[in-house]
Amino acid sequence: MAEREKILEIRGLDISFKTTAGYVHAIRGIDLDLYKGETVAIVGESGSGKSVTMKAAMGILAKNAIVNGGSIQFTYRHDDDTKETVEILKKDKKWIRTHINGKRIAMVFQDPMTSLDPTMTIGKQIMEGMIWHFRTPKEEARSKAVELLKEVGITDAEDRMKNYPHQLSGGMRQRVVIAIALACNPDLLICDEPTTALDVTIQARILELIRRIQKERGISVIYITHDLGVVAKVADYVNVMYAGRIVEKGLINEIYYDPRHPYTWGLLSAMPDLDTDDERLYTIPGSPPNLLHEKQGDAFAPRDRFALVVDDKAEPPMFRVTDTHYAATWLLDPRAPKVEMPPELKVRIERMKKGAGLE
Amino acid sequence: MNADYSKEPLLEVEGLKQYFRVNRHFTVKAVDGVSFKIWPGETYGLVGESGSGKSTIGRSVIRLYDPTAGKIIFNGTDISGRLSPKTEEMLRTQMQMIFQDPMASLNPRKKVEDIIGEGLDIHHSCKTAAERDETVKEILKKVGLAPEHASRYPHQFSGGQRQRVGIARALVMNPKLIIADECISALDVSIQAQVVNLMKDIQDETGTAFLFIAHDLSMVKYISDRIGVLHLGHLLETGTTDEIYTHPVHPYTRSLLSAIPSPNPVVEKKRVAENYDYAASGIDYSQGTDHLIEGTHHVLGTDEEVNAWLAREPLRYS
Repeated sequence: MAEREKILEIRGLDISFKTTAGYVHAIRGIDLDLYKGETVAIVGESGSGKSVTMKAAMGILAKNAIVNGGSIQFTYRHDDDTKETVEILKKDKKWIRTHINGKRIAMVFQDPMTSLDPTMTIGKQIMEGMIWHFRTPKEEARSKAVELLKEVGITDAEDRMKNYPHQLSGGMRQRVVIAIALACNPDLLICDEPTTALDVTIQARILELIRRIQKERGISVIYITHDLGVVAKVADYVNVMYAGRIVEKGLINEIYYDPRHPYTWGLLSAMPDLDTDDERLYTIPGSPPNLLHEKQGDAFAPRDRFALVVDDKAEPPMFRVTDTHYAATWLLDPRAPKVEMPPELKVRIERMKKGAGLE
Repeated sequence: MNADYSKEPLLEVEGLKQYFRVNRHFTVKAVDGVSFKIWPGETYGLVGESGSGKSTIGRSVIRLYDPTAGKIIFNGTDISGRLSPKTEEMLRTQMQMIFQDPMASLNPRKKVEDIIGEGLDIHHSCKTAAERDETVKEILKKVGLAPEHASRYPHQFSGGQRQRVGIARALVMNPKLIIADECISALDVSIQAQVVNLMKDIQDETGTAFLFIAHDLSMVKYISDRIGVLHLGHLLETGTTDEIYTHPVHPYTRSLLSAIPSPNPVVEKKRVAENYDYAASGIDYSQGTDHLIEGTHHVLGTDEEVNAWLAREPLRYS
């Protein structure tokens, strides 16, 4: 394997939002690494801070956000192959706008109807970025846009250039959004719930499309999603987030076949399973915490049936399982009582392993 | 499962058509001849992609729309034509609806007790204010909320709790049939499971039948006794949950099932979903007739098509 080239490094990121009700501590110390050509998924419920983290990486945080600490280092190559590393949090918005947004890091949003401009033809919207960032001549930009439309699987690309977003179906619109994101040859593509608003059949095709493009262009992709099925299809690495912290991270197989954190157990168990005749779904009791009120100890403890006494007193550090697999739960502490994952999940994982031919 | 198939069906839909005239030249045929039955205490899942007409069926059945053609018999009464005041009263109390977006379907200016109690007030179901309060509190408890939540407003709740209020509002009239239109789509995965389990518990307790409309096939499996697969206004395949999941016959059903991502990374990375394109497949839904496969499993198609589909190898999930 060739030397892995790190393109994004987030260390100790800590963000609060100032609201009328007080300070909301949305991100509480996040570490994340991304290498060239690889795919990282961030999984969590709504309000766990997964979108905020990526918005910070793109420098598009809301005005009321306060960065309490941490660093986001983004490395990219100039045209003449010289490397440059920038600290996103230290740069001003204008610099990020001209050098990073769209050009180096592009984003695909959840709802294609709200992320496209309804008053502009899709051709113009694809060309816009190229003309703005690289001063590409109009004719050249046009032919590139047609090519991009073909690449994302839109037929009659020439004619489609003149269409407005409302003339396209949801799946087509999301393809256009991907084409726009790819227009400036970014190094990093962030997909924020790219298929949540789409039908399952179209979801499968969009994911296959992103994967194909990633392979062809060798770009890195970050997926933000709450759907563990989607993650299984696309990701190399998984980060599970809860209440502004990463509670478990590791290689995809480690997370799916050997989960250690009770929250990951819950998430995996709550996935509907087509292979069993179970009548009931497993649920994680309660609902995600309100980050307006800071809680002592492990944020997941109130919903955790394996919670220990220490969980209410101190926040667990990241315990190492393997060199790539870490989990923040006191259950992994050598002093903790030995707790196994729920038996139903164990059976399910055994069955999945068999299906995958791992045993 | 507590459906009682020996009884008369609770709801019978025969050749339901719902057209929307856009202009002189163009009419949208949202639902084009759909027939199905729901028995008391049963959950019937209606699945299909957006634009397949599944929500339209729900809205036609509860008479938010006036059906273009077809017959709807509910509780032994025909409810497809003009409604007499008596029939309307029966329909509005015995059939209830839960909507997709719990924030948009709850009046933000009303307290939860008034949202839930509105049906009771309109139909004069409670004689005294104390009785009404009592009923509302009981229902709140049933859906897993506390009695003190009654005096709060919808914005003070989380998404899952709001959907519980929506369920409570439907339940308070003690209906025989609840139409749940994508009622879990807007919720988080862990909360979805909570709501699905809650609905099952309620069904065990009250024997209410559900028409469960969804696009997510994996969740439908957990709640439905029988399933109908809908595409472009036609009911393509219907049968028990087991029949649909283990022996899907129609290529559209197969493509829907194969598109569900499985949480097994090694398998999922290699798998390519089956593709289905109506325009290219050469299938004409309006030419198809109803074929019985076995048991309660029906498929819409011509003789040759169905024979060809049955000859293919079964779908594998993992």
